[in-house]
Amino acid sequence: MKRKAVTIQALLCAAALSACGSRTGKDVTPPDGKLDGCTLRFSWWGGDDRHEATLNALELWETLHPEIVIVPEYGGWDGWTEKVTAQMKGGTAPDVMQINYDWLISMSPDGTGFYDLETIPGYPDISGFDSEVLSFGRAGGRLNAVPVSISGRGLFYNSLVYDRLGASYPSTWEELFELGDRFSGSGAYPLDLDIQSGGTAWYLAVVYVQQQTGRQFITMDGHLGFTTEDLRAVLDFYKELEERHVIRTIQTRTDEDGSAALYQSPEFISGKVAGVLEWGSSVGKYEMVLPDGALEAGPLLTDGEHTGGWMVKPSLMYAVSAGTEYPDEAAAFIDFLLNNGDCAEMLGTTRGIPSSSFARERLENTGRLNGLANDCAGLLDSVDTVTISPYMELPRMKEYYNDAIESVSYGTADTASAAEALYSSLTEYLEKIRR
Amino acid sequence: MKTKTCNNPVGTGKYTGLLLISPFIAGFLLFTAYPFFASLVLGMTETAGGELRFAGTDTFKTMLRDSGFRKAVGVTVKYTLILVPLKLAVSLFAALLLNMGIRGIGVYRTVFYIPSILGSSLAAVIMWQYLFTSDGLADQLLGLAGLPHISWYGDGRYALWMIILLRLWEFGSAMILFLNALRDIPAEYYEAVKVDGCGSIRAFFTITLPLLRNAIFLNLILQTIAAMQEFSAPYMITGGGPMKSTETVGMLIYNEMFRFGDISMANAVSWGLFMLIASAVIILFRLTGGMKEEM
Amino acid sequence: MKAFRKIPAYLLLTLLGAVMLYPLLWLVGASFKSNEEIYSSAWFMPESFDLSVYRNAWRTVTPYTMGHYFLNTFLIIIPKTVFAVVSSVLVAYGFARFDFPMKRFWFALLMGSMFMPAIVTVMPVYMFWGWLGLLDTYIPLTLPSLFACEGAFVFMIVQFLRGVPKEFDEAARIDGCSTLGILVHILVPCIRPVIVSVSVFTFLWTMNDFLQPLIMISSVEKYPLSLILRLSADSTGDGYEQRKILAMSVIGLIPSVAVFAIAQKKFVSGITTGGLTG
Repeated sequence: MKRKAVTIQALLCAAALSACGSRTGKDVTPPDGKLDGCTLRFSWWGGDDRHEATLNALELWETLHPEIVIVPEYGGWDGWTEKVTAQMKGGTAPDVMQINYDWLISMSPDGTGFYDLETIPGYPDISGFDSEVLSFGRAGGRLNAVPVSISGRGLFYNSLVYDRLGASYPSTWEELFELGDRFSGSGAYPLDLDIQSGGTAWYLAVVYVQQQTGRQFITMDGHLGFTTEDLRAVLDFYKELEERHVIRTIQTRTDEDGSAALYQSPEFISGKVAGVLEWGSSVGKYEMVLPDGALEAGPLLTDGEHTGGWMVKPSLMYAVSAGTEYPDEAAAFIDFLLNNGDCAEMLGTTRGIPSSSFARERLENTGRLNGLANDCAGLLDSVDTVTISPYMELPRMKEYYNDAIESVSYGTADTASAAEALYSSLTEYLEKIRR
Repeated sequence: MKTKTCNNPVGTGKYTGLLLISPFIAGFLLFTAYPFFASLVLGMTETAGGELRFAGTDTFKTMLRDSGFRKAVGVTVKYTLILVPLKLAVSLFAALLLNMGIRGIGVYRTVFYIPSILGSSLAAVIMWQYLFTSDGLADQLLGLAGLPHISWYGDGRYALWMIILLRLWEFGSAMILFLNALRDIPAEYYEAVKVDGCGSIRAFFTITLPLLRNAIFLNLILQTIAAMQEFSAPYMITGGGPMKSTETVGMLIYNEMFRFGDISMANAVSWGLFMLIASAVIILFRLTGGMKEEM
Repeated sequence: MKAFRKIPAYLLLTLLGAVMLYPLLWLVGASFKSNEEIYSSAWFMPESFDLSVYRNAWRTVTPYTMGHYFLNTFLIIIPKTVFAVVSSVLVAYGFARFDFPMKRFWFALLMGSMFMPAIVTVMPVYMFWGWLGLLDTYIPLTLPSLFACEGAFVFMIVQFLRGVPKEFDEAARIDGCSTLGILVHILVPCIRPVIVSVSVFTFLWTMNDFLQPLIMISSVEKYPLSLILRLSADSTGDGYEQRKILAMSVIGLIPSVAVFAIAQKKFVSGITTGGLTG
């Protein structure tokens, strides 16, 4: 019986060519403990700033290790997941990759999708990393990736609008609701939440309920920590934000902004929408479209008693492909990107505030750590944060949250039934994909 | 149409034809049949941690039960039923205007075609943004005409129309095919009816339309297939929203394949779409008498 | 007198032309506008013309200018167009003029291949090219066109060939023309407009194609233009400036518009009796 199954599998594999080969037949090249001359492919996605800074850093690398040639492969975010997915499945992934947090689940469910960095002697130097930070890069107990930076969402406000209305930034949830009343007369809104790819609407409501209940929405090992009641509380919280004029309804928001991101929308630029929940590491684009210094970080909301519930996660990570022929060299290159002081200076905060203490110190000493990103990191440091589970970030999960929020916003479902439907979708899906 | 003269009018051997179409057969095997089969296999092996499991019928059942799939089919059919007739009418109308022997026809042809070049690129997305958001150009024009504000992006009833308008605006390719056909109608035909004292509208129905039958059929088939496979315009402009009102089957496949990484579901939905298009095309062939007489 | 009668037609054409063109004028204008200005005014004219946007766009953030990427794009488009035309014409000729075993079946396959959503084949095709070691070359983007892989083109040409009387072929055969000779000397001239159409469609679709090159090409120096247009569009992190994207799009549009403007004359100059009437 078993032999039969194997034969069928072999036949199907032949049909799918390398399909199965990439999964089982690939040899992992063991490290040899020295650096040889070779060519490494390195891929990342990003915007112009990151491209430019990284290309500069590569020039620096060339002067240090002319024998190890780095071939850069980079592009915009759109379609990048698709590209890397194809490369991973086809066994043609670049030697070194910038990866996203949730890719660990989808591309390396058992920890064999990427190279185990701890098996490479000496490289990369992880002594500058917090062990908790490193644990984000582990899959199946193996160190698959090293987080470049840790980031969490914070609240940022347009000070010009707040000053004009004589309002101050909220520090409790109740104050946030009260702001809605104060703003409603002016036609402006104190905050913006969305159900686009970022899904800040769901995010803030989860923070609220996590703080109230002390439960983690989704645990690190992929179980739903919330009850149906908790999910209902999330949706109720969201609905109340809309009803009390804290945020625009989804319909109004979509009408006004279309598919554009908030920082490109006239409503944000003109100050009609005066607040945003954003990753500290990428708030720069909002800052840029407002007058200088107008955007300020506000306190992380509490209920006056608890401060927990706010979340952090590794914003980006570096990984080495499992099929690389040059593990030592790839690891040395990652080490350079993470820890080299000169490199850190060139890269600045284009990938967030570095988690590596070596890089961070260098930026501190040269006065590069300031501004909103740093303010946000400081605020998050001062509260008891929850780590975002990689499962929470999976695209299908986000689709479920956003659907629930949307149905509540449009009034096609009440929060109780939406919560029930959501509970069963989430548990069913987590069941299916848990590693 | 002409009657069939003989089975093998000019070909020499029985296999000449086969030889001529052999690139297609090879290409079909290599780039259509094989990848599909391989994709099915991938779908089967990907699930449950690389363990081989035949999930085919299960996936199909899940798909048919799934309200998302049923809704996407509804959206796709509605989209096709509205877009295709409108696009054919507009492109035929433009082609007729251009065929009136006017000066500067090249300029007009180019101008009419430029939107089609844009496709559903970022530029088109930004443009639609400008046209249809609140206070956008469309809204201002409606206001001038004394009509009420329309919630284009936020209301499911209108969001699909926004996509339809983009694709309608890009009628260039269909227009080109009509122009090709119109140019081949000999002018004497029109002279003849003019002598009979026919108006130009009657001439259109008695001469132009019947002679354009093949071109209309060709456009109908090509546009129907393209519309039913639509994914990039809603993907870029509305992301499928609001409330999935613009999520086409094509988009569903893309999402399953790339966003959610569920290859077997993507395959199942693809077969669903295949059946849908095949039945639509068969219906069209039946209704119009298609190419029966020659095939 | 005659020209006078056409005034309504001109009016209609101009009106239609304006509707078609205004958004594009806006697009060009908007490429000079800041994020604030871009949606705040309905009028296409920017407040000022600052050409530095275009200079930046042309330079790109990569070590190469857009000129380099234009060249790459043409290295893909030219062979692809030639392949597509030659193979589609041959296959269409086979279908339109010959009888052979299982013809209906093959034709059904041809139609059927148009119904299949290509997205699910991307991954296996990618692996196939990887297995041949041809990833990151232009072969995966061009070679498939040699196999008449666009069913729509074949179908279009078949329809046109049906409009060419078979007596033409017969006469030529009596004159001693070979099978291919008939195609090249008699039929191709008759269906020239549709051949031009096929080339132009291939050109334009390839210009816009994003997913295929994104997945098949990994070296930045080999990127075609469509990838460069999105190189700066990072919607998750740093964000991007819309005017830069628009400026790049405008630059990218120029060859397409030029090709179309040149080719459009040929669209409709087929020999009468050819084509789609019948």
